[in-house]
Amino acid sequence: MFSNDPNDLKPFADLARSFAVKELAGKVARHDCYPFGNFYIDILDKAYHLGFLGGTLPTVLGGINGGMAALCEILLHICEVDASPGGIIFTQTLAQEILLAAGTGDLTQSIFTKAASAKELLVAFPAYTDPAQTDSLPLAQRTGNDYTITGRLELLVLGSLAQQAIIPARHGSGPDYSFFLISLDDQKLGKSEPVFTLGLHACPAVDVTLAGIQARLIGEENTGHRYFEKVSSEMNCAAIAMNAGILRGAFNDAFNYSQKREQGGRPIIRWSEIGMMLASMSVKADVATMCVHQSCLELEQKGSGYASRILAAALHTSELTCHATTDGIQVLGGYGYMKEYGQEKRYRDARMVQALLGAVPYKKLDIIQKAVGANSYDL
Amino acid sequence: MTNFFTKKTGCHNEDKLFYIFHALPPTDEGNEMKNSSEALSWLSRFPKFEDTWLGLSYAPQMPKHMVKETRQVIAIARKFNDEVAKPLALKLDRLTHEDTDYLPWELVEEANRWGFYTMWIPKMFGGQGYNMPSMSCFSEEVASACAGIMNVIGVHYLAVAGLIASGNARLSKRILREVVAGEKSGKPCVLALATTEPGAGTDVEESDLVDKGHVTCQARRVENGYIINGAKVFISMGHVSSWTVLYAYEDTKHPSETTIGFVVKTGTKGFSFGSHENKMGQRVCPASVLIFEDCFIPDNQVLFSAGLVKKITKKPVRDIAQRYIDYVVSATRPGVCAFGIGVARGALETALHYASSTEINGRLLINQEWVQCILAEMHKNVILGRLAYTEANNANSHRGLYRLLQIKPFYYYLKAMPRFWFDKVIAPALDWELTSRIMGKLYFDLPKPEDQRCCSGWASVAKFAGTDLGVINCQMAIEIMGQKGLRQDAGVEKMLRDIKLLQIYEGTNQLNRLNAFKCLIAPEVPHAKVFDE
Repeated sequence: MFSNDPNDLKPFADLARSFAVKELAGKVARHDCYPFGNFYIDILDKAYHLGFLGGTLPTVLGGINGGMAALCEILLHICEVDASPGGIIFTQTLAQEILLAAGTGDLTQSIFTKAASAKELLVAFPAYTDPAQTDSLPLAQRTGNDYTITGRLELLVLGSLAQQAIIPARHGSGPDYSFFLISLDDQKLGKSEPVFTLGLHACPAVDVTLAGIQARLIGEENTGHRYFEKVSSEMNCAAIAMNAGILRGAFNDAFNYSQKREQGGRPIIRWSEIGMMLASMSVKADVATMCVHQSCLELEQKGSGYASRILAAALHTSELTCHATTDGIQVLGGYGYMKEYGQEKRYRDARMVQALLGAVPYKKLDIIQKAVGANSYDL
Repeated sequence: MTNFFTKKTGCHNEDKLFYIFHALPPTDEGNEMKNSSEALSWLSRFPKFEDTWLGLSYAPQMPKHMVKETRQVIAIARKFNDEVAKPLALKLDRLTHEDTDYLPWELVEEANRWGFYTMWIPKMFGGQGYNMPSMSCFSEEVASACAGIMNVIGVHYLAVAGLIASGNARLSKRILREVVAGEKSGKPCVLALATTEPGAGTDVEESDLVDKGHVTCQARRVENGYIINGAKVFISMGHVSSWTVLYAYEDTKHPSETTIGFVVKTGTKGFSFGSHENKMGQRVCPASVLIFEDCFIPDNQVLFSAGLVKKITKKPVRDIAQRYIDYVVSATRPGVCAFGIGVARGALETALHYASSTEINGRLLINQEWVQCILAEMHKNVILGRLAYTEANNANSHRGLYRLLQIKPFYYYLKAMPRFWFDKVIAPALDWELTSRIMGKLYFDLPKPEDQRCCSGWASVAKFAGTDLGVINCQMAIEIMGQKGLRQDAGVEKMLRDIKLLQIYEGTNQLNRLNAFKCLIAPEVPHAKVFDE
């Protein structure tokens, strides 16, 4: 595993930057047409071969064991150009981290060491929700050592691509839930077409209905929330990196455009109101980048209250990104609203990234509930 | 403090600045005014009474019937929403993603059947003559269901404003009568207005900027008309319009002095459409590229020109061109505010429905305080935005473009007279050159600059307030709804996409802030300069 040392992280940053420039730049609008256009499976396979889909997995499981700091470098540079592949990497890492947190070594090995392509490696996960905050989770029924699951789950990310998924399900009416591994090829599973969402179009999600599908328990029963909380800090760091990448991309495009576009006979960057907007975006981009590094450091050191601080940074950077991407369009005026220019996609993607791991208000309330020591389910 | 301030700024008008920035001094006589001129002197201080409490001043002059008519308009809009806009909004949005060449012909025909393209055309031009401020209420209603569908209806009136505000009664009548005929025949005649150019967006809305900008759409004088060359971009409804109100420049080096307005019929030789833009939202309403290649437009299709201006007034053409632009945007920007507030209301209604039907840990969201406070905040934004466009419309009614139509005797006269009176008696008079001269005089020569500033400033304030509040509400809705809000079939993500355009068109919100400063604040600070950094 690599530390936060910039020298250690540089190769990951260089690799991700090179991938983004070669494989993504100039094709972002085309890739974003999905599900109404083709999916870029060839590019996803390249990401797989470069190790981006196993950035935090131990080498023994076929990963590159880069740690969260390395993954954040990868996400930051990819999301600067296109956040959709970042969404795929995020979801895959989330699923992997849940498996690792549950201590399912054999199961994890059986999934990841046999994969020969991106599709075989991918594990779908409902990345836009905190299962504890969802009343309508599927129900799990136990018969001996076997489990079957019934119900419906919305926005199962990568569900149209992966062969397997990790899903949460409850055993009864209480708040506790467990994670299960299911096969997405099971005949008792109904899968929608990819859901048309606000952004991250090339990181597709589906709705699934489960009619007594066979499932394998991950870890222990009724401990899903513990695994989820355990991986939340890592994944919040990843979300911060995605935000920082989107923000940096939005600023760079706005800055470059403002030097070329003229109004009133001079480049718009020379108009102080535009200068002020750009300065504000620049401040946000720099703060977000600092949040990435500081959060990774917090994660490494695990000092008292680190999880709360990382969550705070995630909430803060997502707010910054939503504001800055709105301004990013504004600087480009009418062109910023058009799909060819990339800024409108960042505006949409920023709200998707903001919703990763659950809705903003619940995350905020969770901070206070934890601070007063109450059970977070009482929200 | 006063001395410090004035010394620092070098202002020569110390008394005036003192009263702008400081509370009123106490008087020994208590609340009694010595005479009316003293009261006037207090009321004329910043912010001036007549520039501020517009509704209060206008209320006694407003024809009472306008309330009844506005109620009727809102009821029609709600019926349209239930029967057409709501069932179609998400379907059409999805369709435009599946087929990027989609054009809303069927929707235009439907709006035409409902009479929406003539509803706010004055009766003297053959329309239904509903009062203009009621259109903002209509816009809020329909935009609460779909801003794109509202734009398919509303952008037509941008061109109607462009026609009527030109003062050219003959040409306005000709085109607007075609719109009315289109409604009767079931073959819609929709209008578009083209100003924005590839290299000039903000520039074309301000005379102070346009001479320094890069306009390229040129009108070259030839015998009996003009030859147009150039391109226009982001023209809403261009592809489905029958006529376009087009602005070009006889001398692209000195555009403010040589602005020339035309009406161009779709299909005219040399006039073609390029692609229509791949937008983030409001996709049902196409934004078109218009291309003019040696396109001949005869003299009888010239709407506005230096020559026509000189027949009406001795004021500089540049000032009149700016006045013309101001008339149009003073009428249309409150409408854009209403669009924004419509979307803000749509977001509120969607979030409210979600909160009323969603339980988290066994408790309905609607019964949680933090949700109630967010919903109240969203509702407040809607109310504030509605007040903003209402007040901007009051400015137009009291001191601007709508004033003449809403003077009580004239208003009731227009309501009372039968259709044949307009068709047989009024319509022929609109062809007289004298009528256009009178209209031109009324629009361009007689109004006071301070009236124009008031209307333009309020329109800008409403525009950037309403559209910013719309973005805020959509963001709040999407945060409350979590992953549900991310789905296109839940509606609110489309609103977040749709609303962003409103911060850009009809002048970016940055331009509108500068215009609000120029019109409402700068006149009180003599050394303030705008567009002159």
